[in-house]
Amino acid sequence: MLRRSKIIFQLELICLALLIESITPAIAQGQSTFYEIETKYIFGFTEGSGIGLEGEQEFSPDSVISVGKRNGSYITSQTKLKYEFTPNQFIQFELGPIVSSHHIRNVTDLDDVNRISFGGGFIEFRYLLLDRPASPLAVTIAIEPEWHRTDETSGQYIQNFGLETRINADLEIVPKRLFFGFNLLYEPETSRDATDVWTNESTVGGSAALSYRIFPSVVLGAEVWYLRHYETIGLSQFTGDAVYVGPNIYVQLNNKMFVTAAWNAQISGREVGEPGKFDLTDFSRQRIKLKFAFEF
Amino acid sequence: MSTSLRTILKVAALTAALCCFPTLAALAQEPVTIQISIQNHQFHPREIRGPANVPIILRIKNEDGTAMEFESVSLRVEKVVAAKSEGIVRLRALAPGRYEFFDDFHQETRGIFVIQ
Repeated sequence: MLRRSKIIFQLELICLALLIESITPAIAQGQSTFYEIETKYIFGFTEGSGIGLEGEQEFSPDSVISVGKRNGSYITSQTKLKYEFTPNQFIQFELGPIVSSHHIRNVTDLDDVNRISFGGGFIEFRYLLLDRPASPLAVTIAIEPEWHRTDETSGQYIQNFGLETRINADLEIVPKRLFFGFNLLYEPETSRDATDVWTNESTVGGSAALSYRIFPSVVLGAEVWYLRHYETIGLSQFTGDAVYVGPNIYVQLNNKMFVTAAWNAQISGREVGEPGKFDLTDFSRQRIKLKFAFEF
Repeated sequence: MSTSLRTILKVAALTAALCCFPTLAALAQEPVTIQISIQNHQFHPREIRGPANVPIILRIKNEDGTAMEFESVSLRVEKVVAAKSEGIVRLRALAPGRYEFFDDFHQETRGIFVIQ
């Protein structure tokens, strides 16, 4: 188990090294002029309002890695193999399978799991409600039905259906250079476990992010997220909350490829019925987002 | 199927339907046609003007011997136009402002669309 964890961390270090290496030519190739930029992926876990360009298609592995619970060893990931397309200037679709990995050992209330599996699928509809220059604020509503065959937290086999609903908004504070983004999130979920019992839960929250374009092809930023978890879809049985903070980077590798990375750490939180300053039952201690996109 | 799952599916379907409605309404307006050409990897003219709040059909004539890709982040379009041919881009009704566009195959080739 320890060896496997080391391998995962080594893979993450390799990804980081590749990312750093990719920045160098991107900076070298950077022109002195800052042209318009798509804002969707420049804020880390926070998503900007962008919906892509009509006629554009994109493929990207998009991974969210969760690390750390109250005790033991906990590393899980959900990788969406995303196919995105924009059929017109208002709507974007994303869809694809989800690959899950769970490496859990000696974590209280969770069984030991060590597997990589097909985790489910998703489809996302994004609709641009407001856009620049008609409004300084650009706003997109995103609806994402998801199906999971493994529980994202525990890795146990279940049938889970969720509806991630987001408002993605951003503001261009300094044209083409400094951007402020914020998200509102509501995600109701219903799950059937191995005993055929249906249970409900929901997550609600919001984020704020600031990103600065230091070079034409490189954007650095930081974000803060506040998330609340409930045992109903109607937000009536509160179980815990968490505040995440962390940096992010976006690098345009060439005119058809980009990479993004973000790291969030839980800096504050509470869990109903548990002492301590974090909620480590509903949320992980840290989370990492890695995405490599190829447009065609 | 649980009640919660049915509710989730209904909300998803309703939202998707509401999202499509204004898109269809915008496409129903009568468009204005504007022409632009590209020669020696330069747009002619480099600055074009069009009316606000009216859909626009942009006819792009590529007079070069190589393909070009008309692209714009703010116009939210991309279109490959083969060598010695013409491409058509349909734009939504636009708000007044300046919209950058470029040839994605030759990124130094750029122009401005001014909507008034």
